[in-house]
Amino acid sequence: MRDENNIVVMEGVTFTYPGAEQSVLNGVSLEIKRGDFVAVIGGNGSGKSTLCKTLNGLIPHYYVGDYEGSVQVNGLDTLKHNVAQLSRHVGYVYQDFENQLIRPTVLDDAGFAPLNYGFEDYMERGRRALRLVDLQCDPKEFIWQLSGGQKHQLALAGAISLDPDILIIDEPVAQLDPSHAGKIYDLLRNLNECHRKTIIVIEHHTEFIAEYCKTVVLMDAGRVLWSRPVKEALRELNQLEVSHIYPPQVTQAAAKVAESGYDFGVGGTGEEAGVESHRYPVTLEEAVKYFGRLQGEQREENVVVDPLGSMGADDSAAGLGGAVNASNSSNAVNPIIEVKHARFSYRTVTRERKVVLDDVSVTFNPGDLVALVGNNGAGKSSFLKLITGVTKPEAGHVRVKGVDTLRTPPEQLADMVTYIYQNPEEMFIEDSIRKDVEFFLKARRVIGYEQKVDDILDSFGLTELQHRDGRLLSGGQQRRASLAIGVAMNPLVILLDEPTANLDIATRKDITRLLQQLNRHVETVIVATHDMQLVAEWANRVIVMHQGRMIRNGTRESVFADADLLDLAGLTAPQILELSRSLGMPQLCYTVDEFAQRWKAAGRREALVHGVCT
Amino acid sequence: MEYVRKLMDRVSVEGVKIELLNTAYGNGDTFLAKLDPRTLFLWYLYFGIAPWFIHDVILLFGLFFLMGLTTMMSRVSPLIIGILCLGLLSQAGYLLIVSWLFGGGGETILPLLKLTLKLSVISLASITVFCSMDPEKLSDGLLSIGVPKQVSFGIAYGYRMLPSLLEEYHHIFLSFRLRGVAPQRHGFLYLRSIIYFLKIAVLSFYPLILSIAKRTRTTVEALETKGFSYAYQSPRVKRIKLSYMKFTLRDALFLAVSAIYMAALYILAVQFNL
Repeated sequence: MRDENNIVVMEGVTFTYPGAEQSVLNGVSLEIKRGDFVAVIGGNGSGKSTLCKTLNGLIPHYYVGDYEGSVQVNGLDTLKHNVAQLSRHVGYVYQDFENQLIRPTVLDDAGFAPLNYGFEDYMERGRRALRLVDLQCDPKEFIWQLSGGQKHQLALAGAISLDPDILIIDEPVAQLDPSHAGKIYDLLRNLNECHRKTIIVIEHHTEFIAEYCKTVVLMDAGRVLWSRPVKEALRELNQLEVSHIYPPQVTQAAAKVAESGYDFGVGGTGEEAGVESHRYPVTLEEAVKYFGRLQGEQREENVVVDPLGSMGADDSAAGLGGAVNASNSSNAVNPIIEVKHARFSYRTVTRERKVVLDDVSVTFNPGDLVALVGNNGAGKSSFLKLITGVTKPEAGHVRVKGVDTLRTPPEQLADMVTYIYQNPEEMFIEDSIRKDVEFFLKARRVIGYEQKVDDILDSFGLTELQHRDGRLLSGGQQRRASLAIGVAMNPLVILLDEPTANLDIATRKDITRLLQQLNRHVETVIVATHDMQLVAEWANRVIVMHQGRMIRNGTRESVFADADLLDLAGLTAPQILELSRSLGMPQLCYTVDEFAQRWKAAGRREALVHGVCT
Repeated sequence: MEYVRKLMDRVSVEGVKIELLNTAYGNGDTFLAKLDPRTLFLWYLYFGIAPWFIHDVILLFGLFFLMGLTTMMSRVSPLIIGILCLGLLSQAGYLLIVSWLFGGGGETILPLLKLTLKLSVISLASITVFCSMDPEKLSDGLLSIGVPKQVSFGIAYGYRMLPSLLEEYHHIFLSFRLRGVAPQRHGFLYLRSIIYFLKIAVLSFYPLILSIAKRTRTTVEALETKGFSYAYQSPRVKRIKLSYMKFTLRDALFLAVSAIYMAALYILAVQFNL
């Protein structure tokens, strides 16, 4: 080992999975410092997970492919030590962490690894791990009773039960709601700072990276392009863009503002844009200072009114404009969906009934693009399922186009309502995408369905993939396929459960774009989601759910402007919105473009005022 | 209508899942559940096998009474009892019909009833034992009497997976319903609808098998990183794992009472047959 400070040293690692033709890693050389907090980023298929699996010896011991190069972990050569030995130094939390929970109860699972390694005090070690990850529940609780966030904490506890020096977490926040995601990262930071663990995360969310990580490793096509300190890394806008990685919204905003020259002189002084980018903020805190300073410099130059303060109501045309609340404006129209005093509960394993929806009344009209938000367990999915008719309300009623779901089987309601699962794999009931898309039409003996299927496959970019099995596609392709299946049913209403979960940001943008086109096909779209950027950019009506009730039903403004509400429902507004709030802009900005536009408009007005004064 | 809905609630996939989980894990606080698994094995060794060799009706009825008692003590889920009764009744009915068809009278029915009685004793003993041990205990118990680790681990893991598998199965089943076409009319004796549901119930297994295969990859890797194969040969790990198992007074008491009851029963039977 050349440097005692390096906990990981990889040299010229090349790996090809058995049976594969192309190598996944191409001569990777990388050093990671002891005590670092590293984010590995890169597009889908760039080799991030494979890289991490070389660290705990799964490669080359478990996956015996073509392997070259050397990896030293904590001074151990991974070729000479087996997975079990290396696992005492490296803990691994998978993206599908649920499948890594092996024992039926909480403490049993946390103590499973110490038991296998023959520690007499395995229970105590398990307990200690549970305390470290702050999992507060009965240690005898069954794992299927835990929430998604708790399961993730338990997987983390299992990984640190052997007290490893390195902890690898594959996409920690992909499956969690925003408040849990923050909690997991706080935990990781604590492990990093107070317990001196080296943390490696695979992450798409640059906002979390900026907030928590110290170093960023960018991968592309099986190579490590660079490893840099986090601020420097996130300001490499061009390179990130090539790899389909979106920098934090505030960084994007600073770049957009600088690009257009309306940054009040800071970027327009003849300096190269590349040099300028070194000053871009990467966190919200920095951004508030950065834009505040721009504002301040402007004030010094021309002693006039605050440029942001002047961006008043007359600017609203620059906004999305479509954000009208349809719920109260269109009482005259026949509602598509009418829910009155609906109540729903289910039986738990302990034979008690748990109420998930309590006296819910709401109507949906044509043209509604509804975002249903709220933390895990708030009742979002249960609500969507009531509309499909697969579950029936215990009290009250649900009517779709006047049809009472209580007396109608889901097969019949499917002519009007389509439900798209959170996990697309559960929609693949055939062995090829094409068969899945045509299933509905074929079952109903629609004449000439082949042409329709061709068109839909084409518009979702699936023509090439149509004969592949849906389960074997990538996450983004699966999601597109599930949307195509839904659209092929030609419904009035599409219900989507977490359509952007588990996707990298580039794919998420792609799905958001497809959602924006959906209203050409259907009358009402309801999306249950944690993705606040999607809510801000797409919805024209937002419903906040909390403990089985709808606590807000209105416009984006009414939700995002209400900090108490966001707090209660465990929601986090998009970063750009927080920025516009912190800067005291009179109107909240929902997208980066909107922010830049407003800033631009304010600058122009400023220049005008300035001209008049002199 | 209300009654039908309540019934539907019970037989729904969700309901079956809850019953199964309750049967497996839900009875941890009964007297029997607190016994050492080896005690239960020992007990079962007698009560699971002996009835085959007992022909005395009094003895059998005594056994049946005891088994009924222990079954009640283990608080078995009504679903399991229901299935058992269905099985026994249909068997008894079928035997009656057969004996009647072949011209048998009361003298053939009696031995047949005896057989049914034997079967119920054995079934109830099995239910008592296996419902009183959650899969964990069962797998540890098996491990302690020398069954290979793969088998005992497989039992524990299988049950841990059961809820997620049922849930996934349910989702796939609903996927079929949400895209398929149900028969317009229920048909004679609901036959059309029954056939429709049976068909998708079977079809749903195929996607399930494929997705399990995919899931298992992570699980197997995780097992590797958690040192499962490392511990595979180690007697030390086995000792630590099983160190919690102890015979207590409770175990002795249970075996003693069972033995005394049996002894009393034999004496009673002998008295009667004199």
